[in-house]
Amino acid sequence: MTWQLLSVAFFGLLAIWFGVTVFRTSSMVRSALSLLGSMAAVGAMFLAMQAEFLGVLQIMMMATEMTIMAIFMVMYMMDPGGLGQMDMTHQKRVSVAAGVTGALAGILLALLPGWGPIVRSVPGPARQTHDLGIELMNRSMIVFETAGVAILVAMIAATSVAIARRR
Amino acid sequence: MTSPSYVLLFALGLYVVAVLEGWASTGRLRLARPLRAGVALLGRETVTPRRPDRVLYETAPVLLLAAGLLAAAVLPLDRGAVSVDLATGVLFVNSALAYVMVGLVMAGWAPGGAYSLVAGWRFLGQLVAYSMLIVMPITAVAMRAQSLSTTAAVSSQVHLWNLAAQPLGFALFFLAAMAVCFLPPFDLPVSSDLAGGVAGEYTGARLAVVRLARVALVLTLSLAVVVFFLGGWLGPVLPGWVWTFVKTIAVAATMLVVGRLVPRLREEQVLAWGWKYGIPLALVNILWVGLTLLGVR
Repeated sequence: MTWQLLSVAFFGLLAIWFGVTVFRTSSMVRSALSLLGSMAAVGAMFLAMQAEFLGVLQIMMMATEMTIMAIFMVMYMMDPGGLGQMDMTHQKRVSVAAGVTGALAGILLALLPGWGPIVRSVPGPARQTHDLGIELMNRSMIVFETAGVAILVAMIAATSVAIARRR
Repeated sequence: MTSPSYVLLFALGLYVVAVLEGWASTGRLRLARPLRAGVALLGRETVTPRRPDRVLYETAPVLLLAAGLLAAAVLPLDRGAVSVDLATGVLFVNSALAYVMVGLVMAGWAPGGAYSLVAGWRFLGQLVAYSMLIVMPITAVAMRAQSLSTTAAVSSQVHLWNLAAQPLGFALFFLAAMAVCFLPPFDLPVSSDLAGGVAGEYTGARLAVVRLARVALVLTLSLAVVVFFLGGWLGPVLPGWVWTFVKTIAVAATMLVVGRLVPRLREEQVLAWGWKYGIPLALVNILWVGLTLLGVR
């Protein structure tokens, strides 16, 4: 239990540190790879909490997503090849306010609701995967489908906005 | 099977694949070639780019090698002989292979040279074409096994190999596996067109690690093809690990040779074919496997 707690804390701090480095570099590629480091550390947190499927999934999805995000950022920003010296921050006051609000909301969410007693025995990984599948295809289906369609719509909308108007 | 023998067998596999790679590219089968090439690379002068991103430059080759070896760790060599028997092994293979691409983009970008940079981004473009063709055939394999465990994937093929049960999935996965190891005809990102591409700025010991990582990838992906589609350790008379070894080397040899018979593909061709034909076919494969499963019941 102690080791588990220590590793959760370690990977949590690692995730925060990588999150900080996202804004401390001057290159989009380094920034995106730092974000990947942060997300992979969150995946490792899942693994430390014995949520094998979620951890492996998180580590896999983020590798692809963050690298593809890097190529899109390099394509659309004025940073040829990701080699330029670019400031990663903008609208500093608004960002600081949003960041602090987000952090406070996160802390409150962690502390205020009653999360129930800590589970002593975790179901096996295969059982977890099965239960997750039933949950996704059953009670939470509408939530996930809505989120999925919303992301798809956002992607199509972003692409259509980005394309120059043809005459 | 004990863990030292597991490691020894894997190392032997690496050497054999390295010999085969030399044979496929030069046309001459020389058994000592990998050893001599390795010693030569280690002894050669190390030239580093003028202002690399030091952290990413040093991380990339190691990450590439680690990705290949980690994916291999969850694949069984024999009944009960798997380094880490994860309940989500099939997903973990994907997860580890995703970092091949991260490693190559890092290796391309970190030296700050034009050619390797273009090669790294090209590789990423290529990934968008084939990554779904890795995931979707594996999904169909997991459907038939009714499990995400790699051992269960082999056990599900006792009566009929997946090669016969889902030939479409096999063909797609085989091609996508070649693209993951950037073998010809998918080797534009590391080709001579770009002065060596991603590996172009690496010399000496670092280049040796990059080459070793490529060989490890070929071996791991061949092993994955064997485990997912060719019945893994299943086979008559001989012990299971011999079957796995023989099949894996045969798949690796096919991968290394077949690609050289066709011209190199540009990444936009790979993208067009991947999305227009590959993904619909992979969906058909999933539908087919689903229907056969329902039919069996």
